[in-house]
Amino acid sequence: MALQTNSCSGNAAVTMEQLCKWYGSFQVLHNVDLSVAVGERIVVCGPSGSGKSTLVRCINQLETHEKGRLIVNGVELYKGMKGLAELRRDVGMVFQQFNLFPHLTVLDNCTLALVRARKLARDQAEEIAMENLKKVRIPEQAHKFPTQLSGGQQQRVAIARALCMKPKLMLFDEPTSALDPEMIKEVLDVMTELARDGMTMICVTHEMGFAREVADRIIFMDSGRIIEQAAPSKFFKNPEHPRAQQFLGQMLH
Amino acid sequence: MNFNFSFAIEIVPRVLEGIGNTVMIAIISFIGAAALGLFWELLRRSHATVRPVVQFVIDAIRSTPALVQIYFLFFVLPYYGVTLPALLVGSFGLSFYYSGYMSEVFKAGIDAVPAGQSEAAQSLGLSWADMIRFVILPQMLRNVAAPLGAYSISILKSTPLLAVISVPELLGSALDVASDTYRYAEPMFDVGVLFLAMSLVAVAGITQLERRLGLTAPSH
Ligand SMILES: Nc1ncnc2c1ncn2[C@@H]1O[C@H](COP(=O)(O)OP(=O)(O)O)[C@@H](O)[C@H]1O
Ligand SMILES: [Mg+2]
Repeated sequence: MALQTNSCSGNAAVTMEQLCKWYGSFQVLHNVDLSVAVGERIVVCGPSGSGKSTLVRCINQLETHEKGRLIVNGVELYKGMKGLAELRRDVGMVFQQFNLFPHLTVLDNCTLALVRARKLARDQAEEIAMENLKKVRIPEQAHKFPTQLSGGQQQRVAIARALCMKPKLMLFDEPTSALDPEMIKEVLDVMTELARDGMTMICVTHEMGFAREVADRIIFMDSGRIIEQAAPSKFFKNPEHPRAQQFLGQMLH
Repeated sequence: MNFNFSFAIEIVPRVLEGIGNTVMIAIISFIGAAALGLFWELLRRSHATVRPVVQFVIDAIRSTPALVQIYFLFFVLPYYGVTLPALLVGSFGLSFYYSGYMSEVFKAGIDAVPAGQSEAAQSLGLSWADMIRFVILPQMLRNVAAPLGAYSISILKSTPLLAVISVPELLGSALDVASDTYRYAEPMFDVGVLFLAMSLVAVAGITQLERRLGLTAPSH
């Protein structure tokens, strides 16, 4: 039963209430409360193993939660629900390892879900794919295979592939962590542009320059809890929690 | 009785009568085993509840001799009103037997596709069937090409088992020659050489195919 919960979520893209998750007996998420408004840009940071990936992956149910409520684009999600594939089409995801389909060309990577899931005609799908490849500035690579591209180019294709579905919300899980330093900027530039266009974004990243420039709010996680959230100006100037202070100290020096 | 080489050559045409059936049985059994093996594997993956059942079936298939399975099908199916040509019953028996092994090949092939691939497919909202068909299977194919090639040779070499249910294949026609002439060495020698030749041709074909698969799309 997919609840339409317009009443309690208002114009929230994501609402989490007391979200809990365990891997076996290990609790990864502890009573996480979070509300992300439509159009809001969130940066999630925190030490490795603090549950950032898990939090983001719950939003498109690559991980399922065991307790609490999770409402995405107005629909409550729960384990074993029907119609998940349809809901996922409105939530784009970009992975640290790109996860492009290596046996398909860049163009086919972008058109696959348009044709199979959105049921568009081939030429229509290709038109949309080319538009988005232009947006990430690699239309000329459309007919290459992913392994023929640099890491930065692959990640931009991955972003284009997600954008083709016209998602209402984009999730990024450390999109630049697997990249050589000289390629980080080209990916961040694309993400910054996306933010300017008004996309609702939740980004796990340790790129503090990007966070400062783009984020409306920074979420700091530690041991499966959100222990601080604030606007970047406040977060970077005087974080309240000692763990956040310590983390920033390591990040910025 | 000494081995008579010119006799071995002389009877080649008669032994060869069975080769068409041998090739046909091998091809039908390979396709059947691959299709059924893939079916087992997808069924095994589809639901946690059916998983142990499918696993039991696969284990049972692999723990019984192929010969027994073939005899069983041949003598038992007619009781249930199913009368098929021996060649089909035999091919189905071989398909069934080898499907148990093929399912393990497909399992390893699918397991070797990185988890990120199905995560990406899911996050794009592809259905389970589309994810398998367009994302997982094409990548699995490259992982299973070599072991499937090896099994195709095993299947070819198992086709003489069908002689026991009187399918006129290579061994059958060689046995016919033997019982007519009371000479066994030469017909069996011919059968051996013919299987060696077919295996070599098959290996060459598989190598070509693998090279083509490797070329059309770069791996990793
Ligand atoms: N599939 C899993 N099984 C068991 N433990 C896991 C699994 N995935 C992550 N974990 C554990 O959960 C914790 C949080 O992981 P993760 O969400 O990946 O953290 P982060 O992205 O912040 O580094 C870590 O301690 C990690 O070891
Ligand atoms: Mg992570």
